[in-house]
Amino acid sequence: MGDSKRQRILMVSDFFYPNFGGVENHIYLLSQCLIKLGHKVVVMTHAYGNRSGVRYMTGGLKVYYVPWKPFLMQNTLPTFYGTLPIIRTILIREQISLVHGHQAFSTLCHEALMHARTMGYKFTLADVSQAICVSHTSKENTVLRSGLPPEKVYVIPNAVDTAMFKPAAERPSGNEIVIVVISRLVYRKGADLLVEVIPEVCRMYPNVRFIVGGDGPKRVRLEEMREKHSLQDRVEMLGAVPHARVRSVLISGHIFLNSSLTEAFCIAILEAASCGLLTVSTRVGGVPEVLPDDMIVLAEPDPTDMVQAIKKAISILPMIDPQDMHNRMKKLYDWHDVAKRTEIVYDRALKCSNQSLLERLSRYLACGAWAGKLFCLVMIIDFLLWRLLQLWKPAEDIEVVPDIVLSHDED
Amino acid sequence: MVESCISNKIYSYKHECKWPNSEAADVHNIIVRKSRSKGFLVFFSALLILANVILLFLIKDKSIAVVFWSFIWDVLIVKLLLRKPVEKESVVVMPALGVQLETHYVSGKIIRRFVPIDKILKPVLLECVTPVTCYWSLSLIIQEEAELMLVFKELRPPVKMLVPIWKALCAATGSEGSLNTFTDDGPCC
Repeated sequence: MGDSKRQRILMVSDFFYPNFGGVENHIYLLSQCLIKLGHKVVVMTHAYGNRSGVRYMTGGLKVYYVPWKPFLMQNTLPTFYGTLPIIRTILIREQISLVHGHQAFSTLCHEALMHARTMGYKFTLADVSQAICVSHTSKENTVLRSGLPPEKVYVIPNAVDTAMFKPAAERPSGNEIVIVVISRLVYRKGADLLVEVIPEVCRMYPNVRFIVGGDGPKRVRLEEMREKHSLQDRVEMLGAVPHARVRSVLISGHIFLNSSLTEAFCIAILEAASCGLLTVSTRVGGVPEVLPDDMIVLAEPDPTDMVQAIKKAISILPMIDPQDMHNRMKKLYDWHDVAKRTEIVYDRALKCSNQSLLERLSRYLACGAWAGKLFCLVMIIDFLLWRLLQLWKPAEDIEVVPDIVLSHDED
Repeated sequence: MVESCISNKIYSYKHECKWPNSEAADVHNIIVRKSRSKGFLVFFSALLILANVILLFLIKDKSIAVVFWSFIWDVLIVKLLLRKPVEKESVVVMPALGVQLETHYVSGKIIRRFVPIDKILKPVLLECVTPVTCYWSLSLIIQEEAELMLVFKELRPPVKMLVPIWKALCAATGSEGSLNTFTDDGPCC
């Protein structure tokens, strides 16, 4: 692996800090590792409440909170061409060489990629030069749905910050078995399954206790379940748990339960395994690829099957060594490794030849009878608008931001 | 006495030092260069509309009222687009006294704001992001005020003109004006 040139990367997504979630963490940690490898990273996202403008994060990570209002589930309104001026300005003033879009549901991301494509930038994600998926299942899905050739899709799994998620020095003692659930209490994360599973397990095993962290619309159902079966002393509801406190909640338990109905990867179970917990999870999406078979017990997303899985987990619990699990996780998942693999994908993307507008248009026409012609029209208008902008605000007039190097007395 | 001068297409920056041998006022001016093209374009389009309407009146026999109203409309538009043009904005730095911010309009009107030196906590260079663009601005952090005071209210000069003014303000207010390592060229390793 030779020395690749220093890149100036723009990460685009609708989902970033101060929101907390898998995608947000992924972007942040990947950016930090890329900065350590010597690249320059700039993140672009929409404004969150009062937080709008330019902010700097650790390591000199610059974040542009563009004042476009999110209209649905944190996604900005897809205005098609509305974001063209500001994206062009940011690409020119930061002298970006590569655009990396995150998350298939992000409208800002798609618009940015479309505009960057028009302006001739190289970039990675679906229907572009290269794509990165977090698991092989996700790759299958992407290839089937987007028609992208499989050679262009790379699989780079997420990683976990093993320095932060360490097991407790001593396991929680006593003959109680504590099962921890930390997730957003929404339909997608299987909160309804929990409502069926928890009373059954509590009935079968009198020494099992549950700790449920997280908040969401389904919280009410869980509270009702607690009332109905009088489980107030056996099920503890913590409410929303800030990310910094997740570790302390995890190390108070023995088993981690994940009941998602769909999941591309699931970083939560990585964090649990890194803290030395045995995981019980539903067999969906990319979950089977994440952990080795002896660290996880899988079940179908069905209450009876899950109860069986918990039974099996409780029986193999005495054979688990948390420190050993943690050490294995350290070797298997590391963000620095993810960053290096991403760098390789970037290099490949940059080597991709620039397709001219006509070639791309002919590729879009092949997409479908009506869809193809619509895409072509959209891209042609985008191209014309870009040319117009170039005349009105020429690139030389946009000032380049000077590189500010942080002093290295911290670190 | 003019000490330094930077210019680009729209603005030019002049730094003058009055009474150079004493520690007196330091004036930084940002002057708007006269752009003929904008005024020309506005007048031309107004003329075009008027000519169109007169033609309509003469050929299609529309009433004189239409011509009259479109003339009024034209005047209003011209006034709106070419309204209150700024000739220059200046910053007069008086060490130990304060900073005076002036806006000179083409019509001869001058608006002045004075800020005493001990009310200024720090001058800062910030990037402002709007839904369509991103630009640099120079502001002062004022004691006991929640909002920043913009040094240049109407104009948006480029950062290379703002930096010397920022450094002069830092020197006058006694705050540290270092940007760690400030490099102007592209990616460096």
